[in-house]
Amino acid sequence: MTILDEREGSRETAVNPKLERRARRRDAWRGFFHAAPAFLYLTLFFTLPLIIVFVFSFASRGRTGRPLLEAWNIDSWTRLFEPLVRTIAVRSFWLAVLNTALCLLVGYPFAYWIATRRKQATRNILLVAVLIPFWSNFLVRTYAWRMLLDSDGYITQFGEMTGLWGRLLFTVPAVFLGLLYGYLPFMVLPLYAAIERLDWSLVEAGRDLYASGAAAFRRITLPLSRPGIIAGSILVFIPSLGAYVTPDILGGAKTTLLGNYIVTQFGAARNWPFGSSISGAILIVMLAVTVFYFRSGGRTL
Amino acid sequence: MDGQAAVTLTGVTKKFGEEVTAVDDVDLEIRDGEFFSLLGPSGCGKTTTLRMIAGLEFPTDGSVQIFGEEMGLRPPNKRPVNTVFQSYALFPHMNVEQNVGFGLRMQKVEPSEIARRVAEAIDLVRLSGMEKRAPNALSGGQQQRVALARALVNRPKVLLLDEPLGALDLKLRQTMQLELKDIQHEVGITFVYVTHDQEEALTMSDRIAVMNEGKLAQVGMPEEIYGSPVSLFVAGFVGDMFFLPGEVAEAGAVRLAGGQIVRAKTSSSPGTAVTLTLRPEMIHLYASSSELPPDRNTLDGTIARKIFYGDSMFYEVDVGVVGSFDVRVENAPSMRRWEVGDSVVIDFHPESATALAE
Amino acid sequence: MTLNQGAAARPWVDRILAINGWLVFAFLYLPILVVIVFSFSASPNVGIWGGFSLHWYDRMFGNEQLMNALRNSLWVAAWSTVISTVLGTAAALAIDRYRRWLGRGVFDAVLYLPVIIPDVTMAVMLLMWFTQVNITLGRLSIILAHIAFNISFVAIVVRARLANMDPAMEEAAADLYASRWQAFRRITLPLIMPGVLGGGLLALTLSLDDVVITSLVQGPGSATLPVYVFGLIKRSVTPEINAVSTLMLAASIILVLASLAFQRRGERSG
Repeated sequence: MTILDEREGSRETAVNPKLERRARRRDAWRGFFHAAPAFLYLTLFFTLPLIIVFVFSFASRGRTGRPLLEAWNIDSWTRLFEPLVRTIAVRSFWLAVLNTALCLLVGYPFAYWIATRRKQATRNILLVAVLIPFWSNFLVRTYAWRMLLDSDGYITQFGEMTGLWGRLLFTVPAVFLGLLYGYLPFMVLPLYAAIERLDWSLVEAGRDLYASGAAAFRRITLPLSRPGIIAGSILVFIPSLGAYVTPDILGGAKTTLLGNYIVTQFGAARNWPFGSSISGAILIVMLAVTVFYFRSGGRTL
Repeated sequence: MDGQAAVTLTGVTKKFGEEVTAVDDVDLEIRDGEFFSLLGPSGCGKTTTLRMIAGLEFPTDGSVQIFGEEMGLRPPNKRPVNTVFQSYALFPHMNVEQNVGFGLRMQKVEPSEIARRVAEAIDLVRLSGMEKRAPNALSGGQQQRVALARALVNRPKVLLLDEPLGALDLKLRQTMQLELKDIQHEVGITFVYVTHDQEEALTMSDRIAVMNEGKLAQVGMPEEIYGSPVSLFVAGFVGDMFFLPGEVAEAGAVRLAGGQIVRAKTSSSPGTAVTLTLRPEMIHLYASSSELPPDRNTLDGTIARKIFYGDSMFYEVDVGVVGSFDVRVENAPSMRRWEVGDSVVIDFHPESATALAE
Repeated sequence: MTLNQGAAARPWVDRILAINGWLVFAFLYLPILVVIVFSFSASPNVGIWGGFSLHWYDRMFGNEQLMNALRNSLWVAAWSTVISTVLGTAAALAIDRYRRWLGRGVFDAVLYLPVIIPDVTMAVMLLMWFTQVNITLGRLSIILAHIAFNISFVAIVVRARLANMDPAMEEAAADLYASRWQAFRRITLPLIMPGVLGGGLLALTLSLDDVVITSLVQGPGSATLPVYVFGLIKRSVTPEINAVSTLMLAASIILVLASLAFQRRGERSG
């Protein structure tokens, strides 16, 4: 920086057009240095691993299942169209869609109910009651259903006695129940946040303009809570699609979902390139869904 | 006021991105000890100007000097100025005393000295007894005083105030205006005061700089700004004003719409389109022009509306193509009353009418 | 605060909402309660009440493998929480407080990805990477993996807190002669502390709960508690699992309440 004569202050000597650019550059460096450790870390342990998934999916399979970084091919990607993979993918996809839909169907009135309680204290208590299962260990919550649905448990006995259902454990309905139970809180929280901060005078204005209660809900409340609906749906859909723990505990051989199938490729099936291509496909679907979310005006998850 | 420059801005320009020029080539000298206001509508660049003096922004171009010292890229903590923020920015995790003492602690002043000066500053803003309160437990006016004390306790060479009364209600604002003025007298340091409230600027300031779209519109004492605005913008922004379209007929005379010629202050050449500006309080109503001395300007009109205001009457006077005037008349017993439909004569002194070109 | 009239539904609608609400709560809580209740059952058969007993807790604390898994869990959670909280807080500051720097847009996007990516893909990705760059699978690889997903969660929580903070606070500090470090230490950090602690607690919870990623990047003897329990569940269901589960639920509830307490404190301090 040029040292300026204190007395002079005349226009020619005092003007320093590079001033702001220097200030901005200094701030830019500060920002970069704050981010640098996390940036470096995520590059090393997130971005590069993410890339390696796609690289390995084109490698050929070695004897131990590890990829051989030679003889590049697209076999692993063409295998995605095999009937078995398609069956699993379709099953996973529909379970995820169905689970998202049911979570929304049950979660919306539930969140609405909590968000419209008159007293702040009531709302807070109910919210904490939702937060506890949300934060509770997912494995334990899945285990609860493993236990409840056990062959000599009360639910099975009741079903057999009345003839309504037989053994549920290790079937698709059990997996579905587990997914619903596991991810419902993920739907409720964003919905609650969206409905709670809704400007109710807008609904009043709608009612004042001759909308019936149902019409006001459909035309005003529902569109205004859309960010919550989208955020909740993504928070349920993506993990449902990649579910691993739930089908592994509550499902059986005939209920394999994509998550289990991928892990199998890294275990018993010993085919890392194939596991990579399935993961890559899921990542692409996931990115598409997320981009759609941000495009449709959502901001926070 | 010894006339030495406290703050000197030379060719100061601030751009945000390529498009927005918040402050455009401003030259300004603020003298030591004066109460100086930056006045203008929101977005005129007054706050940005203040922030450049404080060091919270750096100019894209130009220089900021404080008591002759070039500020350059010097950060706020190394400048001999302190700021009272619009939001007050009181630290919520510290009590009143800790807030006020923060600056002194940062400057590593001795603890006994800090205690003494903090007590003094709290006393100055009349908050004694509230030392241990949290800022959130104070009223708006009290928070404002804490912000003031927190800045003043450092004995800055210049105190910068960014719309400090903006968040207060009208009554409190008026009390605080007087109090701020008193405090400035007491401590004797330069105040640079940003406001969009022209009345506030007129009542408190020694000098005012009116800003518009990043540029200085006029700099002067309140009487000058109010009495002799140099542009239509200043005329319209400061105080109430009537605007009558017309053109310069000859030196010192303006032809109004409809052809009538009145005498007025003008510096434009004949034929120039001008707007005649007239302060409402300079207008008087008479029954006929014969009641007036011959050297006055008069316009004939009709009372179109009257509204009773308690202490005064409000008349809307229709003067045909020239326009209509809202005239307020005090309800003194000696004052004449008019009814709707009465013919009246509007009188104003040539010295009180200024013709300004676009 | 009370809501406006607009929120009020007709009585019958409200009744249906209430019934749905209590049913959902029952659905969410009954299974957990059953797990807890049967952890105190004397019967070795899960699902049949055999009278009150602390037998399974006894067994649990005597299970050397399980205790080892618990130690692994705590070790991993402690390290990953501390490191990810520091890195995540710095990242949040970089994004929120500095608007222009090279790579900010990319960083912003990368920072969100680990949150939405499915566990399984994250797990296989890291497994392949660790193998490729010859990082031995064990406690270290688990810690590295946990930090990778926790940074993002911490950053998001801290960023929300920063966004609610009046930027004039830091300006006022600078105006009052605080250096950058002093302004951070005396003003910014205390004010975002609830966010930092909340983010840290979230990281701790996620680290203590993770099954999928850990089970793929673990090595011999480095299984964490959930991974060990996961193995037990797949083999057979025993009341001992109920006892461990109860312990884990208790930990979760303590963590939620702690995080709510921090939030509360944060709201009070503006």
